[in-house]
Amino acid sequence: MMLLLALTAALAAAQAGERVPPGGALPGGALIVPPAPRTIAIDERLAADARLRVGDRVVLSAASGGAGDTVVVAAITRRGADPSEVARDEYRVRLHLDHLQALAGYGDRVDRFAVATTRPGATGRVLDDVNRVAFGFRAHRSADVAVGTSRTFQVVSRFHRAIGVITIVASAIFLLCILLLKVEERRRDVAALRLMGISRASVVRSIVLEALLVSLFGAALGTLVGWAGTLLINWHYQGVYRTPLTFALVTPGIVLFAVALSVALGVGAGLAAAVRLVRMPPLALFGR
Amino acid sequence: MRAALASAALQRHPVRTLLAVLGVAVSAALLLDMVMLASGMRESFRQFLLIQGFQLRVSPKGTLPFDSEATIERAGWALATLRAHPDVVTVSPILGAQTHTLRGDSAHTAFAVGVDPGVQGDYELLRGANASAPDRVVANEAYLRLTGRRLGDTLDVVVGFDPQFRSYTGRRALVLVGVGRFYYTATNQAVLAVPLATLQAMSGAARADRVSLFMAKVRAGASVEAVRAWIERTIPKVTAISTETAVAQVEERLGYFRQLAFILGAISLVVGFLLVTTLVTVSVNERVGEIAVMRAMGVSRAHVVQQIVLEGFAISLAGAVLGLLLGLGTARYLNAILSDFPGLPATFDFFLFQPGAAWRSLGLLVLSGILAGIYPSWRASSLPIATTLRREAVA
Amino acid sequence: MTGDGGRRGAAARAVAGVQPPVAQPSSAPVPAVRAVALARSYPMGGEEVRAVRGVTFDIADGEYVAVVGPSGCGKSTLLNLLGVIDRPTAGSVAVRGRDVSAMSDREATRFRLHNVGFVFQRFYLMPTLSARENVELPMAEAGVGRAERRARALELLRYVGLGARERHRPSQLSGGEQQRVAIARALANSPALLLADEPTGELDARTGAEIIDLFGRLNADGTTIVVVTHDEELARAARRVIHMRDGEIVRDEGRGTG
Repeated sequence: MMLLLALTAALAAAQAGERVPPGGALPGGALIVPPAPRTIAIDERLAADARLRVGDRVVLSAASGGAGDTVVVAAITRRGADPSEVARDEYRVRLHLDHLQALAGYGDRVDRFAVATTRPGATGRVLDDVNRVAFGFRAHRSADVAVGTSRTFQVVSRFHRAIGVITIVASAIFLLCILLLKVEERRRDVAALRLMGISRASVVRSIVLEALLVSLFGAALGTLVGWAGTLLINWHYQGVYRTPLTFALVTPGIVLFAVALSVALGVGAGLAAAVRLVRMPPLALFGR
Repeated sequence: MRAALASAALQRHPVRTLLAVLGVAVSAALLLDMVMLASGMRESFRQFLLIQGFQLRVSPKGTLPFDSEATIERAGWALATLRAHPDVVTVSPILGAQTHTLRGDSAHTAFAVGVDPGVQGDYELLRGANASAPDRVVANEAYLRLTGRRLGDTLDVVVGFDPQFRSYTGRRALVLVGVGRFYYTATNQAVLAVPLATLQAMSGAARADRVSLFMAKVRAGASVEAVRAWIERTIPKVTAISTETAVAQVEERLGYFRQLAFILGAISLVVGFLLVTTLVTVSVNERVGEIAVMRAMGVSRAHVVQQIVLEGFAISLAGAVLGLLLGLGTARYLNAILSDFPGLPATFDFFLFQPGAAWRSLGLLVLSGILAGIYPSWRASSLPIATTLRREAVA
Repeated sequence: MTGDGGRRGAAARAVAGVQPPVAQPSSAPVPAVRAVALARSYPMGGEEVRAVRGVTFDIADGEYVAVVGPSGCGKSTLLNLLGVIDRPTAGSVAVRGRDVSAMSDREATRFRLHNVGFVFQRFYLMPTLSARENVELPMAEAGVGRAERRARALELLRYVGLGARERHRPSQLSGGEQQRVAIARALANSPALLLADEPTGELDARTGAEIIDLFGRLNADGTTIVVVTHDEELARAARRVIHMRDGEIVRDEGRGTG
């Protein structure tokens, strides 16, 4: 079945754009009305690549170069956002079931049935009933099938998570380093404040507040850049793979996590550096 | 003296220096991993295809090897034709089929390759003997673990098995004579190798005189492309691809990882650069007084810059060395994750260490560390001496 | 520092590295410093501040000159101009017959390295280097070999009375000791001119007196010294005192004695 779907729809030389009205004449003038050609639906990708439009006639066959049926393109479909189809360059053609069975010589066979139950609670009972009487096939929940076929994406997801962890660790180190430097730059200011009589607690509070503001601002900017990045990523990959699938998504949860982590690290680093500075004698901070 | 000054400056703030080195190390590790990922897939796949030296693969038209269940018809004639070409040294025919090993009520699934043991390039024999007779079979370790069988056991193997009807197209008793490491099958996939004629017979009429794939070895010095083109002209309904083309096609499919590698690698480089710039800038700003005094003493601008740039270089170098070790470790971890891709051959690596690429990328990071120090140090050494000293005295 | 003054003096001169002036045939000896209508102004807060206003004077070789005056009178600026770490806005200054007022940055840097030694109020030693390494710094820049500069650094430290403290870092030295190290550093490349800006400004009276003595010894051994100071004791120790006010020289006492 996959083979059939993956095969090209062979184009007869005069097919594209042809709209030959059915009909012809028998000797003696009686009108013969040949049966109307069957209709198919093709996907956007095939339509674009083969320059097909609704109404075009093509020849559809099960074997490359073999005899087939002349059919009419009745519709152009858009694929759903199915991750499993992302890297595949296949074309999709939809036919009426009986037409495909006849074309492929399949006879009265199908690959699977998709069953919708009347209510969610009935699914288990239907599953059991079917499997009890099934002969030569089995019933599965769609969710279980999805788990089995989604291993590729589980792997990609784990990979992304690992990369994410690495970049978070890296970002944390950078953040700590830079905030430490930032606070150290202020050592003379701190010395002056302490010499003036400002308490350690007040100095620490003001530095931590500064670190908090820097972290918040940085996190906001970072969120904006990240969001712009997802737009770019989606635009790029949706074009490359010709799919409406969303590749990158910024969710409120992700934003919250990123902001919380940045702020926690920033404030933590600021606090550590500030406490270290106020512990030193003010004159030592001046370098004396 | 400049090196001594640079070293002393770094030791002055050990925590700061350590954090900076760590930061650069993580950048370096990520950069190295991305370089390994970008070039690794291509190189690993090429090495993997050339394991036994077969440069050409002939598969049913429009498909990649074992991409579908399609087969090449008139296999005997095709094989003879291929072998007759003066530039073709070896041709290995392969038929793939799903098998079941029956034992009581249980039926273990295994992928079987029907091969000509004398010329096959699908596995290396680890122990035992090759499947040189019609009723012999070689299995991999995964098969042995799955079935609990051992060398010398007789296996009840069927092809085209329907578990509910317990029907099959072919059934044989095969003696397990050898254990092999199969190059092209997925990790943990149970695999059997049987003589081609045996598997064809077991697969029934539908597979008589058919193979899934030919692998061809071309004579040294001959044009692989010429042979490839000749094959497609001569043998109907096949696609012949060279190793390079196969590599390019797989690379296209895995293009996402290459792009990810490039983007993350570039970001690592930029972040490493920014970190060293920031560190050097702050460090220099703290020492403008010292720098002005050095200039007053008669130390040239260039030498001041050199000393400070040395600090950036030292941090980057230390970070790069640490990053190399870290990167190799994380690459193994990431490779283990990606190796879990369903259907991926066990011998395929996403991350491959290539010394040339690794040294170049780490060298680039160290260079960026050097460049990061140039601007802040030049700026500091160009400050007017008298004004700076006055300002520092007031401060 | 008494005793066999002759032999000791010669040895000390060798250590201090005093170089004889370039003698001009049948003409007056070249002064160590000649300033002619020297002026320096700079903008500050939208106004033009004239720190030094057209001063003219000579300093002979081997003179010991103190420049005194109230804060803001331009004495430090004058010192910076003599030491070629600042450039005049008008006039000229020549050190040992060489016009330094229009030198490029590179030339000025080279000139300072070999001809001028600076001593600052705040010492400005490299905190990460030992006393000996601080003294070696200018010699390293001048390309002196490691063994040679090490030996000379030790000699200079002994000369200033710190031979036993060569390995100590500045943080391990008292203020007076740090200033001695700074003086030794200033003498590293045997400069023609030793310039000191408030060298006793951060020292107590007793330590300051030790530094004053040291300067006296240096001058006795032939070093040309110009100090800027508020310290009366230091001013008294000098043989010539130039009084400045509002960027001009208002009095020049003890001139011509050197």
